[in-house]
Amino acid sequence: MIVTRTWLDEFIDLNGVSDETLYETFNAIGLEVDSMEKIDIPAKVVIGKIISCEKHPDADKLNVCQIDIGSSVEQIVCGAANVVDAEYVAVATVGAILPGNFKIKPAKLRGVESNGMVCSSSELGLPDMGKGIMILDESIGELEVGRELATYEKVADTIIELELTANRGDCLSIYGVARDLSAALNIDMKPFEYKQAERMKLGIARKVELHLKGDVEADLRYKLASIEDMESSFLIDLRLAMVKVEAQNVLEKILAYATHTTGVILRMYDCAAFCSEENDKVIISVEGHEKGIVHVHLNGKHASIVGVSQTEETLPKPHCKEVLIEASYINPDLLSEAVANLDIEKDELFYKTSRGSNPDLGFGLAFLAYLLETYTQISCYEGSLDVEVEREPVKILIDAREISSIVGMEIELGKIATVLQKLGFSMTMMDEHQIAVKVPLFRHDIKNIQDIAEEIVRIIGINNIPAKPLVFAEKKRLNATSERFKAKKALRNRAVGVGFYENVSYVFSDKVLLEKYGFEVTEPELELANPIAEELNTLRSTMLVNMLQAVKRNVSYSKKSIPLFEIGAVFDAKRNQSEKAAFVFAGESEPESVKNAGKPAPVDFAGFTQKLGSVIGHFELLPCTDNNGLIHPYQSADIVMDGKVVGFMSKLHPVAQEEYGIPVTFIAELDFEALLPKHINARPISKFQGVYKDLSIVIDKSVNYYEVAKVLESLSLPLLKESYPVDIYTDEKLGDKKSLTIRFFIQSMEKTLEESDIEEVMKEIMKALEKAFGAELR
Amino acid sequence: MENLESKILQTDSLEALEKVRIELFGKKGLLAAQFAKMKDIPGPEKKAFAEGLNKQKASLQALFDKRYDELKTEEIERLLKAEAIDVSLYGTLAQKGALHPVMETMDKIIDYFTALNFSVETGGMIEDDFHNFEALNLPKYHPARDMQDTFYFKDGGLLRTHTSPVQIRTMLKEKPPIRMIAPGAVFRRDYDVTHTPMFHQVEGLVVDEKGKVSFANLKAILTDFLQYMFGDVDVRFRPSFFPFTEPSAEVDISCIFCGGEGCRVCSHTGWIEILGCGIVDPNVFKAVDYKDVSGYAFGLGVERIAMLMHKIPDLRSLFEGDIRLLEQFR
Repeated sequence: MIVTRTWLDEFIDLNGVSDETLYETFNAIGLEVDSMEKIDIPAKVVIGKIISCEKHPDADKLNVCQIDIGSSVEQIVCGAANVVDAEYVAVATVGAILPGNFKIKPAKLRGVESNGMVCSSSELGLPDMGKGIMILDESIGELEVGRELATYEKVADTIIELELTANRGDCLSIYGVARDLSAALNIDMKPFEYKQAERMKLGIARKVELHLKGDVEADLRYKLASIEDMESSFLIDLRLAMVKVEAQNVLEKILAYATHTTGVILRMYDCAAFCSEENDKVIISVEGHEKGIVHVHLNGKHASIVGVSQTEETLPKPHCKEVLIEASYINPDLLSEAVANLDIEKDELFYKTSRGSNPDLGFGLAFLAYLLETYTQISCYEGSLDVEVEREPVKILIDAREISSIVGMEIELGKIATVLQKLGFSMTMMDEHQIAVKVPLFRHDIKNIQDIAEEIVRIIGINNIPAKPLVFAEKKRLNATSERFKAKKALRNRAVGVGFYENVSYVFSDKVLLEKYGFEVTEPELELANPIAEELNTLRSTMLVNMLQAVKRNVSYSKKSIPLFEIGAVFDAKRNQSEKAAFVFAGESEPESVKNAGKPAPVDFAGFTQKLGSVIGHFELLPCTDNNGLIHPYQSADIVMDGKVVGFMSKLHPVAQEEYGIPVTFIAELDFEALLPKHINARPISKFQGVYKDLSIVIDKSVNYYEVAKVLESLSLPLLKESYPVDIYTDEKLGDKKSLTIRFFIQSMEKTLEESDIEEVMKEIMKALEKAFGAELR
Repeated sequence: MENLESKILQTDSLEALEKVRIELFGKKGLLAAQFAKMKDIPGPEKKAFAEGLNKQKASLQALFDKRYDELKTEEIERLLKAEAIDVSLYGTLAQKGALHPVMETMDKIIDYFTALNFSVETGGMIEDDFHNFEALNLPKYHPARDMQDTFYFKDGGLLRTHTSPVQIRTMLKEKPPIRMIAPGAVFRRDYDVTHTPMFHQVEGLVVDEKGKVSFANLKAILTDFLQYMFGDVDVRFRPSFFPFTEPSAEVDISCIFCGGEGCRVCSHTGWIEILGCGIVDPNVFKAVDYKDVSGYAFGLGVERIAMLMHKIPDLRSLFEGDIRLLEQFR
């Protein structure tokens, strides 16, 4: 909503209220100022009167004008075509400096002297008012030749753009904004008084009939008028340009101006569209359709839907003679709901009607009549035809103590009453604490006492409310979610500690990519209905696809070592949400430095696994059972924690690596749930010396270590505390066999071990391995 | 004698000194030979001879010890020198990554509110109309729904447009009093320089007996919170409108770039809009069947705060895993 200072001044006296005060007041009362611009008309731009205007002898498009600028009559050459229609114009006299540091000097144009310039609106820093120079008239005040234009307040106005919240339809007019200001600044509104001179004595009922059909939930008021001699008004043109409202002809401009001023929805129907010379009667048929939808038919022709649209052919034409004028109000809640269900075309008035237009139809019509009287020869038929909906006004019982407790400071009932009165509420005093108020129809957003509290807070100013800490009862609020956040933070910090960067990517992904790499996708009937982009057209079932995209981007930024991790949500085909932790490590395993002569080894399985372990703790690796297109079939593993598969890790499949165009990459994705810290009980520690023993065995190449480990575990030897592989060796002599060296730690809880005890353990181990794998000692 | 002294002094290594030691002090050394002469010396002179010899030995020993220390020091120095490296070559080996600035900012916000006895609550990202809109006093076709362009699913589900549904679910699950924050990702169908389809919010809710929680309380905690986040800033409350709170306010801080003088970041207003808040609308309590309660709620965008705190120029870069940005936070 755009307003101007002098326009507001027509309803509230802003004398003595500075622009700064206006700015602060608007912000303080919740009408946020988006921008505020004081029009600065340059000095030495004055009102000029064109005495004569002749064609330039040597240039078709130029005119040579003699212009009275008060102190003298100057010859000025003007290039604008509309100068021939002008009498009063804005003249930048010699010495004036226009925006863009454009200095006006005496000049010769095609051999003709020119001492000044006739200005267009944009040349003076005013909003663009279309082609040509500005043709001034008395709408901005008495035109005194030679007087500086800057002294005309209505021209050198202040334009204020307000950002209105969705509930404040009542401020979608100059009048509504002025009313809010009146409460905030405690200045009374200027009454708008106008008695229409009804020049035509013929009653409207002689020409117009009004029929109602169905439930009509709109207020309507019709008048019929004959209009002649329409004149444009400089002020209306200027102000419409200032508030960025577009209108085609004089009547449309007057309508738009009246609506912007009063907030009342006004339409004009050109009678020529539905009357003929033989039949100049008008039958208005108002039909209630669905709840909230009211159609208007004129002589059987569809003309408009109240608050929504009007047919092109019934719009007022530039030279129309007879018009039917309509003011309307419809409940915005009903209307918005109905229109959303119907998907019908809406014109620019719908924004106002759907947010609540001004229901004071009489005011709107009176203001329109005042404009028409001023700028046209209008003759109105007497009276009007009205449709009025019976409405029970919203009544709220207000207790000052309740308001005070909502706000958190003592507010007297008298203060509440004053504020509400200024805002247009009527009220009855109940007792020393309570008043009953009737909410005006234009404040359809106010329904309960907290809405009233908001009005009070707005007008007294939030910054005048002293802050007060809340006193509350102590209670333990460390729940499982809080603990989870803490654990997550610790895990994230460990990941950072071993070199990973935290990634955040969208929970959206590219369906094509997910399918291509064999990941689960959302079932079609559960899919996103309105994705924002092709590459974000589904929910991700893995974070890896997005993270590999991030790797790709980093490669393009010349990054050589790219370690990323992300903890985030993924969704299965049924859209069940779970949380995963994913790790991606691409390229060089460490920063380039003198340590590696600038050629760090690429990341490898061992290195990646070690980093992963430093972040998530101990795990076992078993042959990978997961299956997707990112997994390398021979360098991948299930990650097992506490006997459960919690995720997988893998070298990125070379085909995928090539498709992404990235260096050697390792990936892992795990259920975050499994990474939460677990409760641990300590085991007793032996007081006796233990010994390390190595055993090198020759077994089939195809035997994986986890199978060996399983056999060792199955032995359940009480003295065998630990065993792990330390070396693997193959050569030609061994053929399809390999040599595996395992280190054992042997210790007793009860005594220092004898050599024979150790021998016995090793013998049993060897026996078991012989049996299971045909293992031989190397 | 002088000859012996210079022998010690002329040694240039511990090995040479050791040779001299054997030559002088060894079993077959010069001194031993001198002492051996004792037996040939007549009784009365013996004492003086022995004294002179002992004195000579002591002085040589002292000289030896001194030379030994000198040579030992030189030797260590030599060893140390041999191990000398250019330490300045190794300043670049660190392999620390970095937390994402948005997540780190979220941590900081969570820390504040948990320290003030708020619980942390979360919920699913896929929501239904009731929990995301209706229960929050956003009936269908409410003009305020325009403010939130929503991602819908074909079955009518939607991606939450704020974390407020978590508040509704918590209220449906638990009895007042409630003191909670709901951090998490939210979604709006908007994608340009200043909007991403996903971003993060932290919303807070406090509910207690009727008459206990007021707008003044909200002012107190949010002013303190913003000064905790941004340091010594001015905090301004402006009335605003949110369907789920009434009265509602938007909160600004004095511009941290220009100190309130007016600059490009604050559009020359001196203020930066930072969060929204208000007293919980009675319709919200009605939707969860809470009676005789009062409460406040607030919500803030984490990306916005992170960008302001760290002067990050580009919103979209936050979602691209751009190491050029992330490595600055190491």
